[in-house]
Amino acid sequence: MIETHSVAKTYGRGMYALRDLNLKIDKGEFVFLTGPSGAGKSTLLRLLLLEEQPSEGDVIVGGRNLSSLTRDEVQAYRRTVGFVFQDFKLIASKSVFENVSFALRVLGQPIEQQRRRTYQVLKWVGLQHRLNALPEELSGGEQQRVAIARALVNEPHIVLADEPTGNLDPDLSLEIMNLFRDINASGTTVLVATHDRELIKWVGRRVIQLEHGRMSGIPEPRS
Amino acid sequence: MTVVGYAFEEAWASLRRSGRSALVSIGTIAIAFATLGGFLLVSVNVQGVLDKWLQAAEMSVYLHDGATESDRAALEAFLKSKPSVAGVEYVTREHALERFRADFPELRDVASGLGENPFPAAFEVRLQTGNGGDAAADDLSREVADRPGVGDVRYDRRWLSRLVGMVTAARVAGGLVAAILMLGAAFTVAAVVRLSLYSRRDELEIMQLVGAPFSYIRGPSIVEGLLLGGIGAFLALIAIAVIYSSTSRWLGGDLAGLTGLTQVHFLGWFEIAVMLAGGVGVGAAAGVVASKAAR
Repeated sequence: MIETHSVAKTYGRGMYALRDLNLKIDKGEFVFLTGPSGAGKSTLLRLLLLEEQPSEGDVIVGGRNLSSLTRDEVQAYRRTVGFVFQDFKLIASKSVFENVSFALRVLGQPIEQQRRRTYQVLKWVGLQHRLNALPEELSGGEQQRVAIARALVNEPHIVLADEPTGNLDPDLSLEIMNLFRDINASGTTVLVATHDRELIKWVGRRVIQLEHGRMSGIPEPRS
Repeated sequence: MTVVGYAFEEAWASLRRSGRSALVSIGTIAIAFATLGGFLLVSVNVQGVLDKWLQAAEMSVYLHDGATESDRAALEAFLKSKPSVAGVEYVTREHALERFRADFPELRDVASGLGENPFPAAFEVRLQTGNGGDAAADDLSREVADRPGVGDVRYDRRWLSRLVGMVTAARVAGGLVAAILMLGAAFTVAAVVRLSLYSRRDELEIMQLVGAPFSYIRGPSIVEGLLLGGIGAFLALIAIAVIYSSTSRWLGGDLAGLTGLTQVHFLGWFEIAVMLAGGVGVGAAAGVVASKAAR
């Protein structure tokens, strides 16, 4: 599903964010990406979201080299990827419902389908009672659940999450991780970047450890 | 929802959010197009006057008092033989005096007080219009001046040609001024659209990340420019219509009488369509340029 071949990403002169990265994530797998700050976790996610291109090497997703995609193909590829960020990236002026349906609206989906699917996914994350609330009226955990709902509304093949529990307390973090586990249980490939080792242990899935932009250490066993 | 519906909905919402900056932008577009429309209005009517004057352009060949009947007949035959001449009419001294009295009744007494008829007999020559007409008429006027019996030659088309040249120069200058104003207006529209993009930057980031098609990402900005330009041009037309209407009422028939036109015309449908299309086009082009920031 996801492969990287000798991927490197440099910023400026010789500043490696990633170096000689070779990894493989199978379809339907749940993988943690961990390591200290600056290890290259977010950079790898940005490469997978095509917000940036690798300086060297190839990133292959679903058999396609992401470097070879045209502008329109990049957008088509992104429709197959859901994303969740530490800072939620919700639109402050839009309600919970609008934040989620927006992802369908800008893809030209019929209004009826937007409404049905948005309600369905918000119900799934347990926010069907907060449809008209603005992001500022929600707790951190609720905001992250809205972001997860938005990531799922388009039924992606892959969900990428960058420190999704970074702003949440431990109980809410477990709640969010349960949602990711459920997403994965439905067959979606999930890649979560986090430095929270307790959470990784609790969920117990494959771990890819990065340090100074390289894979390091022995991957922890699956639980 | 279609991309067009989405683009118009978002563009309209953005215009409403922009408030004062959108009004400034519409105002600059309106000023630019009012200038252009004003030039067009004057130009269309001046052209009508010039066409009328050019059609009526005549060469007057005055005979001196000693001219004989054979001089007159030879001159008439000579004029009629020239291809640049469309028609020749002989005006006797008496006919010239009668015409003066009819055209200027208030000066009738002046003419009567002179005793002797001061008007010379003349040939009024209507000239062919079209390519090479001016050069041929110039040659003719030189040739005629040397003929026996000819006292003076007056040729209207010389000053008319100069007038046409001046009007053309004024038209080019007006066009340049309008083009510069429009360029300024386009920059203003682009700046307003960029401000709108900046205020929507969170939405745009999400749109990029969810893989929205570029038509959805850039469409609202292009439509916003299009609306700003279209509204500006429409307001300019209304302003021109108001000025035209009030000026016509104020001057009454004087202006028409002064210019020799039966009526001073407003812009035709073609000019109106050009102005509206121009406004929409300039605005949309500015929107296209500004929307590149949304990549």
